[in-house]
Amino acid sequence: MATILEIKHVSKFFGGLAANSDVSFSLEEGMIMGMIGPNGAGKTTLFNCITGYYPPSRGEVIFKAQKISGLEPDRICRLGMVRTWQKVRPLAKLSVIDNVMVGALCRTNSLKTARELAMEQLKVVRMENKPDFPAGGLPIGEQKKLEVARALATQPQLLLLDEVMGGLNPAESDEIIQLILEIKKGGGITQMVIEHDMKAIMRISDRIVVINSGEKLAEGTPQEIVNNPEVVRAYLGDFHA
Amino acid sequence: MKSTLALIRTTAGTSPVATALGLAVLAGLFLFPSFVKSPYTLHIMILFFLSTIQGEAWNIIGGYTGQYSIGHVAYFGAGAYTTMILMQYKQIPPWYGMLAGIGVALVVSLIIGSICFRLQGPYFVLASIAVAEIMRLSAINLKDITNGAEGILITEIPVFKIGNTVVTDFLSKVPFYYVGLVITLVTILVTWMVQNSKLGYYFQAIREDQDAAHSLGISLPLYKNIALALSAVFTSLSGSFYAIYIGYIDPSTVLNLDISVQIVLVCIIGGIGTIWGPVIGAMVLVPLSEALRSDLIAGMIFKTGLTSEGSAIGTFLKENLAHAHALIYGILVVVVILFMPDGVLGWVKKLTVQKGRG
Ligand SMILES: Nc1ncnc2c1ncn2[C@@H]1O[C@H](COP(=O)(O)OP(=O)(O)OP(=O)(O)O)[C@@H](O)[C@H]1O
Ligand SMILES: [Mg+2]
Repeated sequence: MATILEIKHVSKFFGGLAANSDVSFSLEEGMIMGMIGPNGAGKTTLFNCITGYYPPSRGEVIFKAQKISGLEPDRICRLGMVRTWQKVRPLAKLSVIDNVMVGALCRTNSLKTARELAMEQLKVVRMENKPDFPAGGLPIGEQKKLEVARALATQPQLLLLDEVMGGLNPAESDEIIQLILEIKKGGGITQMVIEHDMKAIMRISDRIVVINSGEKLAEGTPQEIVNNPEVVRAYLGDFHA
Repeated sequence: MKSTLALIRTTAGTSPVATALGLAVLAGLFLFPSFVKSPYTLHIMILFFLSTIQGEAWNIIGGYTGQYSIGHVAYFGAGAYTTMILMQYKQIPPWYGMLAGIGVALVVSLIIGSICFRLQGPYFVLASIAVAEIMRLSAINLKDITNGAEGILITEIPVFKIGNTVVTDFLSKVPFYYVGLVITLVTILVTWMVQNSKLGYYFQAIREDQDAAHSLGISLPLYKNIALALSAVFTSLSGSFYAIYIGYIDPSTVLNLDISVQIVLVCIIGGIGTIWGPVIGAMVLVPLSEALRSDLIAGMIFKTGLTSEGSAIGTFLKENLAHAHALIYGILVVVVILFMPDGVLGWVKKLTVQKGRG
């Protein structure tokens, strides 16, 4: 299997705070990489560094054998990497379908084609029944699904999901888990998933990376992670407390 | 009552009724000068066209893209000055001057855009005001080119000929009416085309959430620059048209910050980010500012008998009301923002939906 993403010694400083320090790991094509870590560990910051929201202070990011750190988010999206936002960012006044069309227009100039692509993605997240609803008025569960549909509409090879299940009820979370597994089965899309729900992350991930205080604490299969004493102490211990 | 509301509601979509109504209005506008001969009425219509063109143009960058320019007079002035300088000192006919004006406005917009749109934050708003002021001061001081504070007066507009046939000599207001109407229709058509294209989607995505838009493959500087350039083109056209129509420009009329404010008001009052908002806004603002200018309001107050023309209050009103447009606009904006946050258009839509349900 080919490597699709390589994170090399990435650090990010906010003033004196090292939100990420010297983080390295890589993703193989087609896998699901889970990312866990306590609140404020630096997970979202790492997503921001990878997707160009801001450049890393040190280190570099290689996507499909090309150095992308320093590129703008729109370039990175067009190269085939897209993220969703932990704090959802709907285009509030636009309708559901228009939101997804904005994503689809990344690959086409035709509104007609974009609308068809968008409708397909709405079916994937099972929101095809309300395309004309204003996105800002959706309940949080559907705003999260809209984030995913919109990101998928850009036809990525790498999808970064930042706590898509956060704030959802168990039934909705389950729907998202199914969705992530379906995307994997469809082939062609590698995923990196930040999630606090341990059960969910164990179930969907091929590998897991644990971030703590900005550093990579551990990396391995779900089995290796639950059996890693350091992880149990730093994170799972916390989690159960 | 109910049926008229239903009619308004259906015309919001594109039903056959709406199409018929639209064609009727269009025909009415083209036939208007054949029935209405009053030069003053034609003058008001021309001002309405100017205001609509400016509103639609500002709407592209401000309403659709969410980048508030409070210095659009810069493009208006660029169009006005370029056309007038070329016509008066180089004998270049105004229709070429208009194109040159567009060119100058484009250059100004790209300079502002390429500097400001690399940064996020309030830079664009601030820079837009600064550039407009720089242009006003330049127009005052570059006397050799602009004739300074004295301004430029056209002595004669060349006759417009196609081949050897004289189309118009621009001696009455009628040719100006048609030029204004055509530019207005083109501006609305272009706005409609923008709204129904990838550009429109990208502009609105930027307005709704820049970071989200950026992450979905939208280059922020590129699309903001396109929006500003489009906006500058039509604002400049309105400036050229204004200059030729009035026949006189100086820095305090065509590079006055008041014009920037009026352009924004047309959109806010009508409804920001919609095709018909600026049209409605111009329908409200143009008559209002005319009424203020011509002492109409003071006259109306005297007629109600609230106060008489000779009294102290009456004299005060008569002397000050005409200059109080800034105050009255301010009050208008507060009222609109409080009671009609989506402008008159949004308010009417909401009203019809509520009545329809009730
Ligand atoms: N733009 C910023 N400026 C300053 N500090 C920041 C900024 N963004 C994040 N931080 C800080 O960096 C640290 C890591 O934050 P980050 O959002 O990456 O954590 P996280 O792992 O995603 O947490 P959570 O699970 O709560 O989402 C936190 O201490 C946060 O306060
Ligand atoms: Mg986070």
